[in-house]
Amino acid sequence: MRILIAEDDLISSRILEKHLGTWGFDVVLARTGEQAWEALKDGGLRMAILDWMMPGMDGVEVCQKIRRRKKYKYTYIILLSAKDRKQDIVAGLSSGADDYMAKPVNFLELRARLQTGRRIVELEDKLLAIQNQLKDIASRDSLTKLWNRAEITKFLKEEMSRGQREQKPTSVIMVDIDHFKKINDFYGHDVGDQALLQVAARLKKKLRQSDKIGRYGGDEMIIILPSCSLAEIPKIAERLRASVARRGIATELGSVPVSISAGGTSSENFSIPTADRLIKASDEALLKAKKRGRNCVVVDGLAEVINKG
Amino acid sequence: MNDSNHASNNLPIDYAEGLERIGGDVDFLGELLKIYFEEFAEKLKLIQEAVERSDFISIRELGHSLKGASANLSLVSLRKASLFLETAGREERLNNAQTASRRLDTEMQRLKDYLENNPPDRQTI
Repeated sequence: MRILIAEDDLISSRILEKHLGTWGFDVVLARTGEQAWEALKDGGLRMAILDWMMPGMDGVEVCQKIRRRKKYKYTYIILLSAKDRKQDIVAGLSSGADDYMAKPVNFLELRARLQTGRRIVELEDKLLAIQNQLKDIASRDSLTKLWNRAEITKFLKEEMSRGQREQKPTSVIMVDIDHFKKINDFYGHDVGDQALLQVAARLKKKLRQSDKIGRYGGDEMIIILPSCSLAEIPKIAERLRASVARRGIATELGSVPVSISAGGTSSENFSIPTADRLIKASDEALLKAKKRGRNCVVVDGLAEVINKG
Repeated sequence: MNDSNHASNNLPIDYAEGLERIGGDVDFLGELLKIYFEEFAEKLKLIQEAVERSDFISIRELGHSLKGASANLSLVSLRKASLFLETAGREERLNNAQTASRRLDTEMQRLKDYLENNPPDRQTI
């Protein structure tokens, strides 16, 4: 673990550096409060030993500044000082230090206290990792692991805002699996689930990294295409359709033929485009594709039915 | 505190304590003493200049800084002299600051003499 030693006294600094190196820390050195702040402000260092008395900004000020940072991970701080009166210790800890040691430092004690600090930092890392996992779980559909409806709608809104700022179009394709209800009724829900999973996998494979796909509901999936013009939609949608219809999907009951219908639209179709309007228009285009016999693509604003499969 | 009876019975360095602090590494102690001597020479000059112009803030800060470095190496008498200087600076007592400055010089000489006969690499803990 990387640790900062902020200490203007060369001898103290050398002794600390040597001990910490022996204990497996990767040491970063600072001689002034300003240097310490420079090293700590971006949150890269999770542990710090700060001397209280330093030229310029002192250890207490550095401590206060670190605690005012909001978005960064926690930095565990041990404040060192020759001041060992009760009120100094209280003032030091009140500035935001986690621990306080009087100089000259007893190194057995420092080692034990650093272990405490390391435990706290590691605990925070574990909690953050779990928080991220939970956030991811909450953002995804449990079956397909595609983005869920709330999340994909949020992406669409963000992409549209960005598109407007950068004067680039945003396009949407809505797809659903043809005769999905029949698949479920005929083969059972397990096969229906497998169909959804494999269709999702095939669609994902055909998308760019910047594109996003979510499960909009039931067997409906929505694809957000940033910086994609209306004219480009047919080709993309057709690629998606063909990738699904190309061959049946393998299930425990053998190969099941599956196809999708797709409806697309673009922000270019609207004088005031909104996420709701794009979703609605792509849904309507999808409905037209269904009416025109399924396994085909209809793009809002483009007249002909494209590529009946 | 006066200049004649300070710490005369004490050794200038408490080797046992100093070596314990750095895991008994006598070579490392030698390296640290070398840094200390260099810093001391610079700081003593600054102290003398600060005393000449009655700059009590600098006197206090320099005393504080030397006190910390001396304590780290268990240089007992130099730590006491530094504390005396720091206090003189805080209390703005020029006479005491002058005394402390002289005492630092004397104690450094005493330490050097002592180390010549008892160098770190002959110590064991």
